[in-house]
Amino acid sequence: MIAFDRVSLALGSFRLKDVSLAIGKGDYYFIVGPSGAGKTVLLEAIAGLHRPERGRILLRDKEITALPPEKRGVALVYQDYSLFPNMTVADNVSYGLWVRGMQKGEAQREVAGLLERFGISHLADRYPGTLSGGEQQRAALARAVAVKPDILLLDEPLSALDPVTQEKFIDDLRRLHREEGLTIVQVSHSRREAHLLATRVAVIIDGTLVDEGEAEVVLNTPKSREVASFVGIENILDGTVTANEDGHATVDAGGRTFEAVTEATAGEEVTLCIRADDVVLAVGDGRRSSARNTMAGTVVSVAENGPVAEVKVDAGAELTAVLTRRSVRDLSLVPETPVTLSVKATAIHVIRSSSSARGSGR
Amino acid sequence: MKTRVISGGLLRGGREASLTRWKENRKRYVDWCTIGFCILGGLLVGITVLAIANMATAELANPAHLIEVATSSEVIGSILLTFCAGANAVLLLVFFGTPLAYVLARSRPSRFKGVVESIVDIPLILPHTVAGLLVYLLFMRRGWLGAPFGEIGLAFEDAYPGTVIAMLFVASPFFINTMREGFEKVPVHLENVARTLGASTFTTFRTVTLPLSLRHMYSGAILAWGRAIGEFAGVIMIAYYPFIISTLIYHSFTTDGIQTSRSIAFTVILISFGVFYLLRRMTRFMGRYDDRV
Repeated sequence: MIAFDRVSLALGSFRLKDVSLAIGKGDYYFIVGPSGAGKTVLLEAIAGLHRPERGRILLRDKEITALPPEKRGVALVYQDYSLFPNMTVADNVSYGLWVRGMQKGEAQREVAGLLERFGISHLADRYPGTLSGGEQQRAALARAVAVKPDILLLDEPLSALDPVTQEKFIDDLRRLHREEGLTIVQVSHSRREAHLLATRVAVIIDGTLVDEGEAEVVLNTPKSREVASFVGIENILDGTVTANEDGHATVDAGGRTFEAVTEATAGEEVTLCIRADDVVLAVGDGRRSSARNTMAGTVVSVAENGPVAEVKVDAGAELTAVLTRRSVRDLSLVPETPVTLSVKATAIHVIRSSSSARGSGR
Repeated sequence: MKTRVISGGLLRGGREASLTRWKENRKRYVDWCTIGFCILGGLLVGITVLAIANMATAELANPAHLIEVATSSEVIGSILLTFCAGANAVLLLVFFGTPLAYVLARSRPSRFKGVVESIVDIPLILPHTVAGLLVYLLFMRRGWLGAPFGEIGLAFEDAYPGTVIAMLFVASPFFINTMREGFEKVPVHLENVARTLGASTFTTFRTVTLPLSLRHMYSGAILAWGRAIGEFAGVIMIAYYPFIISTLIYHSFTTDGIQTSRSIAFTVILISFGVFYLLRRMTRFMGRYDDRV
């Protein structure tokens, strides 16, 4: 639907470098990256608010690089909601309809329907300054949806909301995407949001697109160490392949030996990515298990977080495991507890430093 | 009767209780910093009040003379002329200065922008006589702009347009800088959202940016108008006649003496204070949207 072909642009000292991406109709496309990576600039470039220095932007195979924002058929919702403070909620929602020349009566009916749909009918005559964050968010979304955009652009829409409102809003967005078939591009630095909503993900770091593809693939089998770190892989270990038999490699990582599934050959430098969810802990010597990686270690710390706990284990290399709080209690895990740690070889994603192609392993 | 006694007692009791509470609170919340700031600021306000009181004492000792001067057609005409010329200058500033202020607010920092900003500020840093000379040389009969305008029948020397143009020149930085600050305070995100919703740049400016800057527009206009009607040296260079109020006071001081000029000045002070106070009161809530909770 919309594609960036080697787009570069400069904004003060910041540069977006050679970005190429393709967003298909009906995608829920996430642009993720650390703060200051250029996510919002990329979003604004899609909206036509920044003119690229080089490269082309295509909408349905037609070049729109120089097309002004008002003619692109996109709607933008910022992190701060950016409701017009001089207008009531109803006026905000009808703004896009009004500037597009819709008849007053028709616009009023349309707005009433939208306010009803987003559950903010009772706020129609209120000014944005008197609304809560969640109410402002819904009003901003209603305003954006009112113009029936081809693409809805969301700039970190959940970051200023409390956890309960966030959950509600995630449901709203999911419904909007599913029921309306709307193409949504969302900027976020939250991996959780990406896991919950995205169909495709682009990772941008320091103005460069470092990974792009199906959400499951990008989030679970990252292309590089920095992407792995950003998408939230808890255990990242550098090592060297010592042997490989039929794609079953032995990797030496800081004195510990891991078995993983990869095409990497002996002597090749690799990075091992292990999700904390895939690490199993047992107290004592451990039992016989099908897991190919079993090692003794000592609990370093236990940090409870909601229903789960993050347990750090020193097993030569420090590895993190995520357990339920009940498991922590049953195993009486406290710092200094000796444990046996196991990981299936197929649960290890191997990044081959010699190749830019996505590694195998999961 | 009985009820009255009881309610009177209650009232007295209530007053005593609130007085005690007030005394206790006063002891508890002594903010010496704010008190110090009030004293320092008060000294500044005090000087102005003292100067006016000094003049008022002399004027109110002879109210008949004050009324005679204040109601003379010459003084009333001059005050009206001054206020109107100031208002005309402000209208021109709103028309030409608002777009300039917007461009300055939204353009990225550059050497060119710095030069334009310095040019805008020139009337602030120049002696008023120099400002007057600049205006005179440009708009005099043989001036670069005065000559072509003269050919179409618009004269500036010793004429109302000359007064307006001199006022506009000296008051422009007050309006442009205040307006620019107002535009800078409107988040660019609001404009971006309006654009993506289908509004052109001008529609966005007209429906979002300008309404949100109205408060600064009024402030800038009041400041510029105040600066314009108070101008003397800048105006007399190009338009000694017709008399604006500052020229009339100077003329009266040099011809009639201090008493008449003081009476005119006192009249102007009273009227100006009243007008500015009213304008400030009227625009108190203008352009405020975020704090209506």
